[in-house]
Amino acid sequence: MTGAIDISAPTATRVAGMPDAGVSPQPPLLEVRDLSLSFTTARGALPITRNVNFTIAPGERVGLVGESGCGKTVTGLSLLRLLPPQSARIQGDILFNGTNLATLSPRRMRAVRGREIAMIFQEPMSALDPVFTVGDQISEAYRIHFPVSRLEGRERAIAALREVGIPAPERRCDEYPHQLSGGMRQRVMIAMALICKPKLLVADEPTTALDVTVQAQITDLLRSLSERTGTALIFITHDLGVVAETCTRMITMYAGEVVEDAPVDDVLTRPRHPYTSGLLRSLPGLSRRRGVLASIPGRVPSPSAMPAGCCFRSRCTHAVAGCEQSQPMIEIESGRTARCWRAPELVLPGAVN
Amino acid sequence: MSSAQNHNSDRGILAVRNLRILFPTRDGRDTVKAIDGMDFEVRSGETFGIIGESGSGKTTLGRALVSLLPPTHGQILHDGTDPVTLGTGAFRKHRRDYQIIFQDPNAALNPRMTIIDSVVEPLEIMGQGDHASRRRRGIEVLERVGLAAEAADRYPHQLSGGQKQRVNIARVLTLRPKVIVCDEVVAALDVSIRGDVLNLFADLQREFGLTYVFITHDISVVSHISDRIAVTYLGKLMELGPAEDVVEHPLHPYTRALLSAEPVPLPSHLRVDRRIILEGEIPSPVEPPSGCRFRTRCPSVQPRCAKEVPAWRDVKPGHRVACHFATANGPPPDNQKAQRAS
Repeated sequence: MTGAIDISAPTATRVAGMPDAGVSPQPPLLEVRDLSLSFTTARGALPITRNVNFTIAPGERVGLVGESGCGKTVTGLSLLRLLPPQSARIQGDILFNGTNLATLSPRRMRAVRGREIAMIFQEPMSALDPVFTVGDQISEAYRIHFPVSRLEGRERAIAALREVGIPAPERRCDEYPHQLSGGMRQRVMIAMALICKPKLLVADEPTTALDVTVQAQITDLLRSLSERTGTALIFITHDLGVVAETCTRMITMYAGEVVEDAPVDDVLTRPRHPYTSGLLRSLPGLSRRRGVLASIPGRVPSPSAMPAGCCFRSRCTHAVAGCEQSQPMIEIESGRTARCWRAPELVLPGAVN
Repeated sequence: MSSAQNHNSDRGILAVRNLRILFPTRDGRDTVKAIDGMDFEVRSGETFGIIGESGSGKTTLGRALVSLLPPTHGQILHDGTDPVTLGTGAFRKHRRDYQIIFQDPNAALNPRMTIIDSVVEPLEIMGQGDHASRRRRGIEVLERVGLAAEAADRYPHQLSGGQKQRVNIARVLTLRPKVIVCDEVVAALDVSIRGDVLNLFADLQREFGLTYVFITHDISVVSHISDRIAVTYLGKLMELGPAEDVVEHPLHPYTRALLSAEPVPLPSHLRVDRRIILEGEIPSPVEPPSGCRFRTRCPSVQPRCAKEVPAWRDVKPGHRVACHFATANGPPPDNQKAQRAS
């Protein structure tokens, strides 16, 4: 008995004394372990993502960034097992509150979708059904998980619409998607996603189809809802500005792999992977006006011809002998990892220099 | 002909005079006022940026500038000539100087034509040279935009998005135009290659003395490449001035809000919280608000804004704005902030 106390006491002080030490006081909400995804094609399995690892703490807001084709969207979809099971093969573990979603039966997975983890998509018009009112669609999302009457479902839908800042929700509730503007539709999607109070929201490019003034409204809404309700957020985007303003951590993906994982402010100031640095330096807003813009030469290798070792080395200005070795994620400092063996020695420009 | 030409005051290579472009709504009972009164000039050799939200009329304007849409009212003068008054043959000859590149590099190329066939098609239409000389010219231009000669005989699906956009650039260059309207030309490209394409535009401008009209919703792109910037809102210009002034010291409340909404990828300690969240979205161009179009979302709105259409006036030399209350020092104060202060 005394032994047990001896063990727990120093652990408790260590956690309390070093809140930033990377030792999370709570177990992670989501832990993705060695997630690999491949699509079956006529020419055999085509690997899309390889050994993706990350964790999300309760209430944390994480940006998942990368260019088109880097695997960020399929990673989001595979968390909810929304990929076609005939052609998509998922390997690895998706531990959500200790349950492995990768092996859950379809029936039990349906109980998780929308209830525990919800998702919003880039194009709200194609995600909404044009022949049902938005109120019906929002209340359906609730009534699938909770046995309430139609009337209560409707009341909850109205409350959810009010929550996401839609004026006159009693009236909007009976409108069809085509009667709403793009920003309103995205608010409806958010209302639908949050009505069951999920613990995790996966937002896949939720503002890409919107104008910049409306984008600002939606990112502010997502951030404040997450802060208020404690919903964790995975924000999939290619826009590093949106990540900087919405998230606390940023995970960079390249060619199907996570290449960097770090707190947002740290990675913007001093990125540790040459790809992240290249992305930051390509942003026109951060370089001298009318000067020559930085860019990353070359293009992403095709998934069918992925080179061994570092996938980025053909485009990397820091590539040397040794980069053709396979690259593990290495810890650079507590809470910061990068998939580059030269990361500890390289000093890479970020958003500020 | 002589009546269409105006030799005295048009310094601009493009001069837009009281332009209105109206479309009937589907049921024919109303009109969409896509462009509702615009006046500006584009100077020879400059990059003229146009920013605005979707529905502000910027794409309609771009098409009208290269005579793809006729003005409903007003005029667009090309170097003093009104293309509407030209005969078919003269018009065809004339319009080669005024070209446009579209947003989606895939949609702009015929998937069944090889790259070189697409690139030389404008020359064929103009009846220039023989087959061999056209091909030579096409390959020359492809090389100039950074594509290897091997790409010439490929099909669009074999190229990446950035390469396809280079093909589109090459295609308009074959005609040696004076003006190129670029409608969201980098919007469909990934960030890492956007820089390359924008650098190419800058190089070509220096080499051929091109004039660009750069239409985009991306403020960081437009502020990077433009000499002057025009801000559109619901079919009207809100502000027009030197790029640096418009971006650093905007005079119109709309420009200020638009700039503040742009997410900046800076760490939190370097970010200033100056964001002005605009309420709602752009109103319908079928029934635009009376008076100032922006008044329904303006944080500095006054009773006068509903009654009077603000004049399009010079507030500083070369810096015009359409707001009753803007001064050379900046936009009028935010109503809420003014209230809190008093």
